[in-house]
Amino acid sequence: MSGESEPFRAAGNGPDTKATFTALLENSAEELYESAPCGYLSTLMDGTIAKVNATLLSWLGLERDDVVGRMRFSDLLTMGGRIYHETHFAPLLRMQGELRGIALEMRAFDGNRLPVLVSSVIKHGDGGEPLLIRTTVFDATDRRSYEEELLRRRREAERARTEAEQARQQAEAERARLREVLTTLQRALLPDTLPEVPGMEAAAYYHTASPFRLGGDFYDLFSLDDTRWAFFLGDVSGKGPEAATLTSQARYALRAAGLHSPDPATPLATLNTVLLERYADNGDPRYCTALFGILEPGGGGVRVRLAFGGHPPALVLRADGTCEQLFTPGGMLVGVLPSAHFATVETTLAPGDTLLLYTDGLTEARTGSGAETMYGEEGLLSFASEHAPPPPTASSAP
Amino acid sequence: MNTLNVTCRDTTAGPVLDVTGSLDYNHSASLRQEVRLLSLDPGQCLVIDLAGLDFCDSSGISALLAARQHVLAAGADIVLDSVPANTMRIMTMVGLHKVFTLRPAAS
Repeated sequence: MSGESEPFRAAGNGPDTKATFTALLENSAEELYESAPCGYLSTLMDGTIAKVNATLLSWLGLERDDVVGRMRFSDLLTMGGRIYHETHFAPLLRMQGELRGIALEMRAFDGNRLPVLVSSVIKHGDGGEPLLIRTTVFDATDRRSYEEELLRRRREAERARTEAEQARQQAEAERARLREVLTTLQRALLPDTLPEVPGMEAAAYYHTASPFRLGGDFYDLFSLDDTRWAFFLGDVSGKGPEAATLTSQARYALRAAGLHSPDPATPLATLNTVLLERYADNGDPRYCTALFGILEPGGGGVRVRLAFGGHPPALVLRADGTCEQLFTPGGMLVGVLPSAHFATVETTLAPGDTLLLYTDGLTEARTGSGAETMYGEEGLLSFASEHAPPPPTASSAP
Repeated sequence: MNTLNVTCRDTTAGPVLDVTGSLDYNHSASLRQEVRLLSLDPGQCLVIDLAGLDFCDSSGISALLAARQHVLAAGADIVLDSVPANTMRIMTMVGLHKVFTLRPAAS
């Protein structure tokens, strides 16, 4: 204790301390009552104020003579405080004999409101009969503003949270709208349904890597005249909206050109010219792989002539369970060289045979990370061999 | 994760780009970028060395075709060197062996 400072030493228990206390402290209980840091008042059981201390009078800006014997406790309250006092405070007090820390609002002479915390206790006579009510009043202005500040902070935090939640919902809604637009656009690039080809069954399976990556794949199947049908399948370079533009150009170019040519290689040559005219010399070459086929039913089977433009081999799943690649080398990517050559190959489909076409999205699909996990042509060929001969709808690779 | 690394060195015959890693959808743009920065004189030859290439998809082929276009516009020539067997097979399948001078990887 020897290291402590002077004021602390005065608070010790030495004989000097008592003298200091005596000099400092109230020597009269009356002075303590009048000047205490809280308000005191005593009322009769009907609320008439019998005694009030100077502290409370000064808070309210009232004179003692105007209050004592003239006003009731409830007269010191605001209208709201008065109602609460009549309906809750007074009945509870009569019932319990005491109440502690009730928040009420007092009204000063100048009209200002004074938030207070009120505690009251009933003093009983020797026979147990209630005599008067003793009340202490604490100024709760600071406490009220502290609570209001807390409340304001909480409301701000809640508003910030609400705004963040609204922003998140909006972003989600926009994402959903974008997905919807892309899906609609995607459908515009592909036929809704494949037409019925007499004696044959056709099915298509289309899957994009992500709803936000428009696929660059396109296909179609349509009749050339009463006896012949044409089909094509292609894959444009790149993905996204630019690829989609190219996809729709390719699809309509092939379809228009296909109607006027007996040779399946001619539509690919037309598309080649279209792509070179549109995209050559702008530093961003666009090309596609495509195959174009013509179906000619007759003699118990279907003659298939297939032209290749840089496209992976087609597969023929024979009715006897064998599986073979239908391909001819030398078919150039479409849109690269003005003098491109497109090779044609021919086969006949017998009853029960299946012709399977795919884009390199299938053989380039990765089943893990790294080149060695590519699905690959070998993977597709062995899958197809295991499944030949199936109906067309069952031949969608995983 | 797959990566792509493209480095450039100069020889008397022209620039050589060493390509290591994957020429796929996520990485082909950096090859295009590298090629755009090259300035070639007429008669020079750009060699793209693919010895370190372990994957090439259609976007990789696009990047190589863009390189070819850039080179031809400058009056120069392009050679793909040390082409891995599987990439060589794809190039041949899509007819690009008629478009590029391809040198297979030493086996």
